[in-house]
Amino acid sequence: MGESRFTRRTFLKAAGVAAAAVATPTIFVPTARAKSDTLKIGQWTHFVPAFDEWFDKKYCPEWGQKNGVKVVVDHISVNDLRARAAAEVSAKKGHDLFGFLDPPPAYENVVVPMNDVVSECEKKYGKLVNLAQRATFNPKTKKYFAVSDNWVPDPLHYRKDVWGEIGMKPDTWEHIREGSKKIKDKNGMPAGFGISQELDTNMMVRALLWSYGAQEQDESSTKVMINSKATVEAIKLMTAIYKESETAEVFTWDPSSNNRFFVSGKGHIIQNAISAIRTLEKQNPELAKKAGLALPAAGPGGKRMASEHLLHCYVVWQFGENPEMAKKFIVDLIGSYNDAFLASEFYNFPSFSKAVTDLKGKLAADKVNPEEYAILGDFEKYSAYPGYPGYTTAAIDECFNTFVLPDMFARVAKGEMSAEDSAKQADADMKRIFAKWNK
Amino acid sequence: MILPAVLYVVALVGFPFVLSIYLAMSDAKIASNTYGFVGLDNVRGALESPTFRKSLGNTFIFTLVSQVLVLMLGKILATCLTKRFWGKSIFRFLILLPWVAPISLGTIGWKWMLDSLYSPVNWVLQATHLVGKNTWPMWFGEKDLAMAAVIAVHVWRLLPFATVIILAGLTSIPKEVDEAAEVDGAGFWSREFHIVLPLLRPILTVAGLFGIIFAFTDMTVIYVLTRGGPAQATQVLSSLAFFTGILGGDLAGGAAISLFLFPVLVVVAIVMLMVARRTEVA
Repeated sequence: MGESRFTRRTFLKAAGVAAAAVATPTIFVPTARAKSDTLKIGQWTHFVPAFDEWFDKKYCPEWGQKNGVKVVVDHISVNDLRARAAAEVSAKKGHDLFGFLDPPPAYENVVVPMNDVVSECEKKYGKLVNLAQRATFNPKTKKYFAVSDNWVPDPLHYRKDVWGEIGMKPDTWEHIREGSKKIKDKNGMPAGFGISQELDTNMMVRALLWSYGAQEQDESSTKVMINSKATVEAIKLMTAIYKESETAEVFTWDPSSNNRFFVSGKGHIIQNAISAIRTLEKQNPELAKKAGLALPAAGPGGKRMASEHLLHCYVVWQFGENPEMAKKFIVDLIGSYNDAFLASEFYNFPSFSKAVTDLKGKLAADKVNPEEYAILGDFEKYSAYPGYPGYTTAAIDECFNTFVLPDMFARVAKGEMSAEDSAKQADADMKRIFAKWNK
Repeated sequence: MILPAVLYVVALVGFPFVLSIYLAMSDAKIASNTYGFVGLDNVRGALESPTFRKSLGNTFIFTLVSQVLVLMLGKILATCLTKRFWGKSIFRFLILLPWVAPISLGTIGWKWMLDSLYSPVNWVLQATHLVGKNTWPMWFGEKDLAMAAVIAVHVWRLLPFATVIILAGLTSIPKEVDEAAEVDGAGFWSREFHIVLPLLRPILTVAGLFGIIFAFTDMTVIYVLTRGGPAQATQVLSSLAFFTGILGGDLAGGAAISLFLFPVLVVVAIVMLMVARRTEVA
């Protein structure tokens, strides 16, 4: 064996050169954006399985056939949506359409503006409802960074039988406090308002704050307004509800926990999307007959507000392979909202005002519990969005996704701080976040 | 010959590290197209945040308590595994299982085991009359219980690793030494403290240092079980960096938080290298 033998050194050199040769084109050659014959959609796994059934097996295949593309839908769990979006943006590769459950203004720089889609949909399917408009539009750049196809009401779910026994209804937050205490004292049933770092708590605490007249920011979306007397009163009320009528499990919850809590029959009241009562209807029809839906509870001044439970909105990445097809998909999907609304069992409310015809009639025609669902018909006028009464900005987005407000309530309920100090800390946290984003 | 190793370290360690310093000193956001230099603003911002300070303390508690438990239990298990007994191979397999199973899968299993509504652990406690129907422990809802729960699950996860390392150390101790001590009348505890543990010290140090790195940088257990709650009682630096940088969209803020892990990891790495060098010399 002479100089020509294949040594370990030669092998390593060859392997290194080969690896570099393979990697170089992917590193240095700009990605060519070729139109693909596949439309890739990433969105959440719906809490109402029937909607995914309709979307995956009926709507998408039929739409794909009509438009000559293959539609691939990837379902992502609720808690992983944001991380997945960040990964796609970082890799500059991913789905053609990505569905968020809360508005993503922080992504404005990497998405295709949706102004044309919104204006086409408004022409065809009526005005974009106010809560969806304020949550997906940036007034500074005049761009829609996302298009919302649906929003989800967040009514109170309560046990009519249990509340009937104490002769009350959960009409105001003070009634909820008083009634929950009576029920807990009488039969040990706890209330179920989460105080955890999760989506449902984020929505519920906002409903409570707004009903008390508190707000996160001003209408111009520039000034933090959380440290107020109204906020302190709302925190005190929630702390009282926790101490008198809940258990520490409300600190442990994820977005599905309050559903399970209510469906199990353990608790008597939650604030949630209608997936909770729908699940109850399927799993325990007898108990479902005793369950009711109610309007958002009113605050001390009679103001009655709720947050949208979810605001589903699609973005089209700038690096997507099929942006025009993706936009067409959204327009057509919004055009099919009569079917989508029914497939979601009334969970998905249309973001364009006329996308569902005779919405109230459909609610009243529910086969299981028409009188309960009827109250959802007017829910839009009570519903707001993160950042109300301003816009949902990137700063509000960070406050929302780092759970500044749920933490503000949790600190007091846990006895770590007074309501006043906790509101001050939330104010400082929010101001720090606003300062970063408003530079 | 060391070129591949250098390339590996530069690409997978050096580049991300430099990038995180760069991000921490910038105003980078999740979808930024341009990054401006802001110096130490993000570090200052982190230090001003009560949540950050709480997370820093939690990180040390989580790491130190879990490592003390891992080493103690690992030593006990390894000692058991040096003995002969029926079903030893199955026992060894079961001990290793948490290490080979995906961490997220195992942790989700624990999330259900300790669930507030359907916890089998609580059910057993109730069935044995240790707790009443309405006094179930809320494992993730009380501050101390939540910290205990995340530490316990982390110990469960790391125990096989420590056990295997310590077992390797135990089997390398010449039997004659132990037998001679026994003949001289040394009891079990005397042999443990005067012979076994001193001989095991280098290997225990390695197990401990690896464990510290795993615990200090891990966020899976906490993210899956408590998401940092209740009221940030179990938030650690790595999970806070994830919430801030990825979910909150403030990449620079997240990077600045994660850089606070660096000094501790440097010290650990230096100690590890010193131990390795001393072992080599010996």
